[in-house]
Amino acid sequence: MTTNPHNPSTSASFPGSAEETLRIVAGLPAPAGLEDRVRAAIHLARREDSQRQPNGSGVDRRGRVLAWPRALKPQTVWMRTAAAAAIVFVVAGGGWGVYTRVEQNRPARILVMPPRIGAPGGFAGAGAVRTPQTLTRPTVSTSVQPTVVAPAPAPAPSTATSPSSAKQTKGAAPKIAGKNVTAEATAPQQ
Amino acid sequence: MSTSQAIYAGWMEIENSAAIEEARRRAEDDALAALVDQYAAALYRVAFSVLRNQADAEDAVQEAFLRVLRHRDSLGEVRDHRVWLIRIVWNIVLDRKRRAKTRPETDDVADLARVLPSNGLSAEELAAAAQHHTHVMACVDQLPEKERQVLVLSAFEELSSVEIAAVLDITESSVRSRLFRARNLIAGLLDHARNPK
Repeated sequence: MTTNPHNPSTSASFPGSAEETLRIVAGLPAPAGLEDRVRAAIHLARREDSQRQPNGSGVDRRGRVLAWPRALKPQTVWMRTAAAAAIVFVVAGGGWGVYTRVEQNRPARILVMPPRIGAPGGFAGAGAVRTPQTLTRPTVSTSVQPTVVAPAPAPAPSTATSPSSAKQTKGAAPKIAGKNVTAEATAPQQ
Repeated sequence: MSTSQAIYAGWMEIENSAAIEEARRRAEDDALAALVDQYAAALYRVAFSVLRNQADAEDAVQEAFLRVLRHRDSLGEVRDHRVWLIRIVWNIVLDRKRRAKTRPETDDVADLARVLPSNGLSAEELAAAAQHHTHVMACVDQLPEKERQVLVLSAFEELSSVEIAAVLDITESSVRSRLFRARNLIAGLLDHARNPK
């Protein structure tokens, strides 16, 4: 037995107990009559096997020629020929019988399927068209009136400080930040 | 009827092949019986060292020989019948041990006490020895599977490391390294049991 010289505890403790125990267990004698019982089991298994396989070998290893029964052993060649002819006749007759009973060239049945009709009471689209969801356009919170631009005044005379021109200037609507403020709205109520 | 006609007819061949078949079967039976006589005891000891139960070990040996019977066609191709048979029984007992893992260990103690040789020991000494051996076997059971297998097989004096390697289908160097590890491990387990601190 190999022991580890670098491990004194291993060398000291193992051989005395563990190895001895294993040797004792490994060296126990077999019970009496073991061989006989094993042989009997083999014999029984072989017999069961041979009952399943008539040739007695367990596995059918090769093809075998069937033997004639002793009472019907053909003594001449013509009997063998007649037997072979009878076998051929039976086999061919059976094949012919099957062949004639099978319906041949049977046309395939084609089923014409009716056109598909929509099921009544089903759901309909009702002309609804799906519109894809797009980005919402920007909206202005305050309403904006279109700007009405006053007609351009007539060309004034060279003396711009005349009273008539001053009246005309006074009557013109002033433009304040894009909003049209009329003269009546701005004039104080009398 | 002449011989040529009989051969042509076929039944003479049948009689010949039946005789050959019978002779072959008889030879196989004899070979199998010789194997049983020669190796049944060794196979029993291998089986018992793992199963530690007489009836289970005997069943394992019978199953091994029934497997041989099923594969008797390849009997002629086997080089070393002893290693081949030990390998068969080894696989059977490992399979059985795996299936019977739930069995209580107290059965093992009782079986071991019953089969141990007395060697003039008193009943008390015999009981103490059985308990000690059972403790050692419990330590062996704690080993990892690979190391345990090599250790158990190494206890058989008739098996060399080459043959152990053939049974376990590993290399010889693996056998040696596993055996070394197993011995160290079991020494540690036994020391720990003696000196718990």
